[in-house]
Amino acid sequence: MSNYVDRFDAFDRIVHWTLAVSFILLVLSGLGLFAHTFFGYFGLFGGPQQGIMAHKIAGVVFLVCSVLLFLRHMGELCRFDADDRRWIVKMGGYLSRRHEDIPQGKFNAGQKLFGIFSFVAALVMGITGYVIWEPTAFGRELTQFSLMLHGLFFVLWMVGMIVHVYLATIGNPGTLEGMLYGQVRKAWARKHASKWFQKVAGNR
Amino acid sequence: MKRKAFLVDTTRCTACRSCQVACKQWNKLEADSTVNRGSYENPPDLTPMLYNQIHFIEQDRGEDLRWLFINRRCLHCADAGCVKVCPSAGALYHTREGLVAYNRDKCIECHYCVNGCPFDVPRYDARRKVTKCHGCSDRVQNGLLPACVKACPTKTLQFGDRDQLIAEARAAGKKLYGEKDLGGLGVLYVLDDEPGTYRLPKNPAIPASIFFWKDVVKPLGILGFWGALGAAALHYVTVGPKKIDAPDEQQHKGGE
Repeated sequence: MSNYVDRFDAFDRIVHWTLAVSFILLVLSGLGLFAHTFFGYFGLFGGPQQGIMAHKIAGVVFLVCSVLLFLRHMGELCRFDADDRRWIVKMGGYLSRRHEDIPQGKFNAGQKLFGIFSFVAALVMGITGYVIWEPTAFGRELTQFSLMLHGLFFVLWMVGMIVHVYLATIGNPGTLEGMLYGQVRKAWARKHASKWFQKVAGNR
Repeated sequence: MKRKAFLVDTTRCTACRSCQVACKQWNKLEADSTVNRGSYENPPDLTPMLYNQIHFIEQDRGEDLRWLFINRRCLHCADAGCVKVCPSAGALYHTREGLVAYNRDKCIECHYCVNGCPFDVPRYDARRKVTKCHGCSDRVQNGLLPACVKACPTKTLQFGDRDQLIAEARAAGKKLYGEKDLGGLGVLYVLDDEPGTYRLPKNPAIPASIFFWKDVVKPLGILGFWGALGAAALHYVTVGPKKIDAPDEQQHKGGE
């Protein structure tokens, strides 16, 4: 009997890592437009014009992957129950060393909120990105507003991504494996997603 | 160096358009091909090949025709929206005289300045690089007048020490447009009517969303980035990670 349980299938994993790579490319190619300090990052792409082109391509890839991932997990992400509300009130038990026993489904309430935020933010970035794709195609006010929103959601996303990476790696040992090769340890599942674990273990 | 400025006294303008021609000549700009629209105004707007333009305001008053003329161009703002939004440091910049000039080699073709300008001045040419009036910064640096000012036969266009131009206009009892706006414009107008009549904004300002983008979101980004990294590090060393304490199933069952 295996110590592991399947968590994400190959499709999820591939889409997730495509998303991650395109995110990094977006950050590197976009920072030069965000502030003078980062202008040199365009050098990674061979120049500002090439950087902007890379940003546009990576942006489309990112949007498509975001929509795919959200559609696949929409059912899980958008359903909140009493346990989720308890999780949110207790901040997921992340403020103390003690283990809070709050039964969670496949995704905990924080992951659900992050999933919904990611999708909404991807749409905002996609729409504003389309407006500023050719910065003189739309009206001045709309373009200016889109540039501002694009920057604002970049900042929000940067913060969200730091939290996401921290919690999915060193903050919660054993989590990353689920996204790397698709399986998590049963002990992990029992601790972090007991309701989901009961469901998948019960189906066996 | 003391700030230099243009003073455009529209009440003196006869719409001879010497300024347009002189500018084209000095900057080696080719002619735009245009169509007859039933007005002497030509071309109808600034183009990548036309850095300053005499805009005709033609008001039909029955028997009478009221003709107002204004020299449209870059206004060389001290607090310039184009410089503020330009991602490429040095592509658009202020000269020592306070003129807004540009270096086309540094232009990255992002077009942000087109939207950042409150006066709709910057244009992109066929090579997709920014163009606009640069106040003949090359001439000014060598002690010459800008080409348009040199060519103006009616003293509509003047160029010189900004404070002095303002003092002279005040002494002559003239009301100036742009003395304080955007940190003080580098092109001051004497108008014969409301600014709106000349298609000039009454209170020109950096658009609110550009202010929010550059002065709120950007600092917030620095705070957010280091704040989130700091919070994660602090969490790791204080509360610590959520380790999995429970033994694995196989060990649990004692090697079944």
